[in-house]
Amino acid sequence: MICAGIDAGSRAIKVVLFDHARSMVIGRGLADQGVAQPRLAEEIFAATLSKAGIDRHQVRSVVATGYGRNRVAFATTTITEITCHARGVFHLAPDTRSIVEIGGQDSKVIRLENGGRVRDFAMNDRCAAGTGRFLEILAARLDADWSKLGDLSQQSRQPALISSTCVVFAETEIIGLLAEGVPAADIAAGVQNSIATRVMAMAGRPLTAPVLFTGGVALQPGMVRALATTLDCPVQVAPEPQFTGALGAALLAARIAATASTSSP
Amino acid sequence: MLFECAHRERSERMSPTADPIAHFGAMIDRCYDYAEAAKAAGRPIVGIMCEFTPREIILAANAVPVCLCGGSAATIPAAEQVLPTNLCPLIKSTFGYHLTGNNPFLNWADLIVAETTCDGKKKMFELLGESKPMHVLELPHKANAPEALAYWTDEVRKLKTALETRFGLQITDADLRRAIRLMNRERGLRRRLAQLMRHDPPPLTGRQLLEFKSIISGMEPDLDQYESALRLLTARTAHTATTVDNRARVLLTGVPLVHGAERVLELIENSGAVVVAMENCTGLKPILDDVDELDPDPLAAIARKYYHLPCSVLTPNSGRLCTLRELAAAYRPHCVIELIWQACLTYDVESHHVRKLAEEELHLPYLKITTDYSPSDSARITARIEALLETARPD
Repeated sequence: MICAGIDAGSRAIKVVLFDHARSMVIGRGLADQGVAQPRLAEEIFAATLSKAGIDRHQVRSVVATGYGRNRVAFATTTITEITCHARGVFHLAPDTRSIVEIGGQDSKVIRLENGGRVRDFAMNDRCAAGTGRFLEILAARLDADWSKLGDLSQQSRQPALISSTCVVFAETEIIGLLAEGVPAADIAAGVQNSIATRVMAMAGRPLTAPVLFTGGVALQPGMVRALATTLDCPVQVAPEPQFTGALGAALLAARIAATASTSSP
Repeated sequence: MLFECAHRERSERMSPTADPIAHFGAMIDRCYDYAEAAKAAGRPIVGIMCEFTPREIILAANAVPVCLCGGSAATIPAAEQVLPTNLCPLIKSTFGYHLTGNNPFLNWADLIVAETTCDGKKKMFELLGESKPMHVLELPHKANAPEALAYWTDEVRKLKTALETRFGLQITDADLRRAIRLMNRERGLRRRLAQLMRHDPPPLTGRQLLEFKSIISGMEPDLDQYESALRLLTARTAHTATTVDNRARVLLTGVPLVHGAERVLELIENSGAVVVAMENCTGLKPILDDVDELDPDPLAAIARKYYHLPCSVLTPNSGRLCTLRELAAAYRPHCVIELIWQACLTYDVESHHVRKLAEEELHLPYLKITTDYSPSDSARITARIEALLETARPD
């Protein structure tokens, strides 16, 4: 049985095709999010299917998750990011007790029970402090490419202290630091620490190890170190951290397909 | 519909409604007509800002107590010209109505009665007092100190004197007792309506139940409608007793959902849950206790009832945790959601105790939502509510 998970995030749309008979991922797709969300979701889904050599009618059910989940017209149902990330992580690393997910405009901390059930979670409010959005603003301010920020942060000798309360305040601080001649590497490392501090404050309590780091921001070099130092515990980066939510959605889609087939006459 | 939307087709609205539940749909319009008629008949309008205000004293002075708490995002920009941005939206909206002149009840008010509750309100009242007659009661904040109740009783007595002086009348014990009976009847009826939500399935949604809350206290015509609504809804629960309800039952706590600011309640119920109990000032908190009708000193009895309101401005506010325990036992929720208005420091800090109670003692999933009156974060709030419900009721 083939099922699909689609994670319509704020910055990117991720698709995972999962073959439950063989218990393996058989296709992945990634596209930038944009204004025409339903069309973009449709296009990347079609492209992922064709790349995997799968016909649409072979897909038994589709679960959409993420910020744009309600705009994925072809989804069988929607499930929140919290439940999908927990399911994806349980599949990848079943011993995980805490998940830190940092995406384009969201960050979340999910605590898991034995068996992968969500114990509780915290998610950022209106403000994008502590999310990938902060790194984008930093990249623009430093005239650097997003993907190079991590390497830059690795060169820091003395990370700058940057407020973690508000991205707008922090941007003002960055301008001030640049004017003072603080090296870009120290500012980049400072921003990573600021994000980690914000995530820790959001969690509101010490995290139980093992901690798994998911979401697009986990791809950035230096971020996992900032998080581990701030949380004062070892942190592992999930394999393909951007796809954890979509993977969880694809796994949950199988359960939905199974329920649907047993309840039909 | 907010304060400013009270339209002017009275004859149409005054016609009796067959359906008592529909009767409560047009609350602001009814209050408008009631207050306008009362004013024309010479009854003073007294604006109130909080559940600590003893309605009985105001009613005993033959005045109409009207809640002026603002629930509109539209009046906040005006308020922010004077007040700091980082202040609770309820305070900003209330003050914004004052600056824009868009709340007829505030414009009509002959006096505003307020209390020293949170710092934001207390300082806003000073500004409001520059152009409105204002009487502020000092509320002692140590919940369990015996001398605090004595002090508060004295403050309530001073309110009685202030009303007598301002409106040129004498408030007798008989007046107070009449007002006590009226308010006890109102609280009792609202309490019985709220208690219908103990049924599974409940006969109303939380949003429908909130419609029964009026901004005017002691409005007698409404009390008869409460009676009819109770009869109708009690019969309804008998019919639905065997219906299977797969909605998650939510215990909502935290800040009040004043008229116009019901958005989070709607988001919760639109996500497939039903709010069965609201432990807040627009819900059960102020109506759980009555004033002792047999106390030889009616004023002291009134002061005692109001003093024991478990508000987060008190310290320690253990009464709130007791109430939550009792509500959890009686209403059998699947989860607890706490609503905090942004920059409401006392509720925000106190949420630590509530979370602990929910998770460690009641073993219920807990979610804290911090927001203001702007709807821009509705999608984000919905995601968190849905995730909570997925956790609370896994299939």
